[in-house]
Amino acid sequence: MSKKTDKKIQIRIVVIEVGLLLLIGLLGGTAFKIQVLEKNDLTGKAEHEYTGYDVIKGKRGDILDRNMNKLATTIDALSLACNPVKMKNAVMDSEKLAPILGINSHRFDKEFKTKKHFLLLKKNISPELKTKIDDLGIKGLFYRNDVVRFYPNRNLAAQVIGFTGNDNSGLEGLEYRFDSVLKGRKIKISITRDGKGQLLGNDKILEQRFRGDSLVLTIDGTIQYICETALKKAVVDNEAKSGMAIVMRPSTGEILAMAMYPEFNPNSFSGFKRGTWRNRTVTDPFEPGSVMKVFVASVAMDKGFCTPKSIFFCENGAYRLGNFVIHDTHSHGWLTLSQIVKYSSNIGAAKVSETIGRKTLYDSLLMFGFGRKTSVDCPGETPGLLIPYGRWSDIDEGAIAFGQGISVSAIQLITGISAIADNGVLMKPLIVREIIANDGTIKKKYMPKPVARVISTGTATYVRHMMRSVVEENGTGTRAAIDGYSVCGKTGTAQKAAKNGNGYAKKKYTAVFAGFAPEEHPQLAVLVVIDEPKKSHYGGVVAAPAFKKIMSEALNYFHIPPDLNSGKLVAENLNGATP
Amino acid sequence: MFDRRLVEYFDWGLLLIVFIIVVAGLGILYSAVSAGAPGATHILFEKQILWMCTGAVIMFSSLMVHYKYLNKNYIMIYALCIALLIGVLIFGRNISGSKRWLSLGHFAIQPSELMKLSLIIVLASIYSSSVSDEGMCFKELLKPGLFLALPFLLILKQPDLGTAMLLLFISASMTLFVKVQKKVFFTILLIAAVALPLIWIALKDYQKMRILTFINPDRDPLGAGYHIIQSKIAIGSGMLFGKGFLQGTQNALSFLPEQHTDFILSVLAEEWGLMGCFSLLFFYLLFLLWGFNIAYCCRDMFGSMLAFGITIMIFWEIFINVGMVMGLMPVVGVPLPLISYGGSSIITNMAGIGILMNISMRRFS
Repeated sequence: MSKKTDKKIQIRIVVIEVGLLLLIGLLGGTAFKIQVLEKNDLTGKAEHEYTGYDVIKGKRGDILDRNMNKLATTIDALSLACNPVKMKNAVMDSEKLAPILGINSHRFDKEFKTKKHFLLLKKNISPELKTKIDDLGIKGLFYRNDVVRFYPNRNLAAQVIGFTGNDNSGLEGLEYRFDSVLKGRKIKISITRDGKGQLLGNDKILEQRFRGDSLVLTIDGTIQYICETALKKAVVDNEAKSGMAIVMRPSTGEILAMAMYPEFNPNSFSGFKRGTWRNRTVTDPFEPGSVMKVFVASVAMDKGFCTPKSIFFCENGAYRLGNFVIHDTHSHGWLTLSQIVKYSSNIGAAKVSETIGRKTLYDSLLMFGFGRKTSVDCPGETPGLLIPYGRWSDIDEGAIAFGQGISVSAIQLITGISAIADNGVLMKPLIVREIIANDGTIKKKYMPKPVARVISTGTATYVRHMMRSVVEENGTGTRAAIDGYSVCGKTGTAQKAAKNGNGYAKKKYTAVFAGFAPEEHPQLAVLVVIDEPKKSHYGGVVAAPAFKKIMSEALNYFHIPPDLNSGKLVAENLNGATP
Repeated sequence: MFDRRLVEYFDWGLLLIVFIIVVAGLGILYSAVSAGAPGATHILFEKQILWMCTGAVIMFSSLMVHYKYLNKNYIMIYALCIALLIGVLIFGRNISGSKRWLSLGHFAIQPSELMKLSLIIVLASIYSSSVSDEGMCFKELLKPGLFLALPFLLILKQPDLGTAMLLLFISASMTLFVKVQKKVFFTILLIAAVALPLIWIALKDYQKMRILTFINPDRDPLGAGYHIIQSKIAIGSGMLFGKGFLQGTQNALSFLPEQHTDFILSVLAEEWGLMGCFSLLFFYLLFLLWGFNIAYCCRDMFGSMLAFGITIMIFWEIFINVGMVMGLMPVVGVPLPLISYGGSSIITNMAGIGILMNISMRRFS
């Protein structure tokens, strides 16, 4: 090893030490400059950054069905934005971009003229689209990691769920009603991005941390699908204008399915007619027709005016009420109350109504929930129309009994029918089961809520039996019968009010079927409403088959065992086998 | 073999300085990793302590062996590091576009960090036998040049411009320290001036962006200039005495990028203010002067070169990192020695300090 003799090396070390002192001094000086001399400027900048108007938005919560399947969720996606100041020829570029993005090339002309630095062009850019855009080589464009609302089942329960707008706030349905629950919390600091315009990693964590709560619905995705498929078939087969169907659990008021046709896809809602967006089962009133007779019969028996065997003369098919003459489809003579329901006699129902009296009928129908909102958690609910009894004319008194001159929403009707199924207790319809926080804990649970006892258990049993007879031989609803199950129901065929407000339109009907099964302990209630069917217009012909399809598949899905025939047969066979 | 004087001459002063810097560093790191989400990132803090302990073990155990063995085995050390660097290019983990990490079971190492130390040993060994009054000529520079070129290119390929440049700076400092002929010096300067535009063309887009941003950070405040502007804002908002431990807003609100690795100084500056910065720089300066003093006192050329090389390595790391955080230098990935989070950097620096102690305690011989 060479010995170090060179003094010069040691001098050099001293020189280097001095240089080093100077460089470290430079660092210290810079620190002094930044922290003391420029401090006001930079402190101001820091303040601005975390009190700026920009916000980080947490992700929007999910909407799940009762089996925790996602109906609506938020996914990451790319958004295309531009800096108009940096674009060389924004107008020309937008002409190139427009056909690829599928937008009007002059849509952003105004914004291009302003001195903005940020302009969102299109959300949800697919990888293929991105390649196409990149190929154009336009300057001033950039991408942003963004989120979009995604509805994985497309049309499924679309009107119930609703959708969100461009700013990720709910515009329709539950997205709208529960917007404040679902939307992510905002924190007031500026959104910071790296050179590629992407969110920095921490922002992603924050997005998750400030995520909104999720909704768990009472809707069952499978039942909803069954319901939508059957409804669509009924509407298409009967060349009808539209249709609605609801499945409810009578004992709790939980809505298992809420279907409407025509439908729309919430992922691209703007491509569908506005009229398809809303939850028409809640927002749109209609005249229910003869389904009302079961409520009239309930009231008549519950208030002690009649028994199932009370008889009424049905005037052989024509009966004058004030200035109007009402008719039955088939003329009848004397009918019991049960038969009036079974054969759906309008004249009979009008006579029952006369027996009850206007005030009692009005009060009782109000009790059943007609003429007032059910307070279901869907936006835009209609109270329907139940004219106060003081303003009833003679014809109203009779007509309301067979469901004309009164309008109801589908949710009111199924809730009322469910009350009969549920031994006379009216439940509040439930669409949301629980709200869960983003850490998975349950924030709020929606418990079944009884609203009122509307009829006695005994009356309910009688009415159920009457409704059972509707589906049995010679009833109006035989097409709703399901092998092995005691199905109860009631048909309804209502004339629609004329558009000019003058009486009823010719050949425009609403066909309804409402019912439940099994008779003794009803598990499911189903309502089907078909609007303006063309081929036939009777509820028993148009709506009952759809009811049957929905009910039988739902019974099967929930493993509800048959309560008729087969059960008896098994018992008899067993008896035969033992000597 | 064991000499009583080894204990007698043990460099307690150096150990104390290093200890102060390490403890301060852990405090800053604690604050940096606690930013925004307490609890979640504490694992980094624990890992750093583990690295520190490992480094200390390596540091103390290396004291047992005389540093002259490094001179004898420099080729072996160098070859091992080169093998690791090649391994990185083949098996390395790709993190945000560059392969710098070699995964070894539960932990990953950055061979480019180890290479720094290895190159210093190589150069110290070569130069210690070729030092002369008139300085070195081209021919003598060829061998060290080749030893530098191989790891330089391998690291550039990762790509890790910062570490590659650091190798260049360390080698240049050591070479100048040994003295070169005037004509050699000016020729190299000329070549460098000509090569600069060519290097610019060879740079990757993001690297060009960083340099342009260094020249004018407000060019793209939310883009390439983001790091440096945020860092300056954090430092500036610390003012004279800082916002206090764990009170930094820019840090807590996650405005600071890479706040636990390369930009950790901005956390210190925000929370402890100018006083904090000055204190840290003071201890660093003390350390560097101590290191040069070891080079000064060492009686053999190899030890002197080695001590000088290690000290100058730490100096360049400090200068580039602090300069970068304060906006004096372009943003390149160089950690702040003994403070930034990162196992390879900690181990390399601790091992280096071990060698310094080794040289220091054998200064009597």
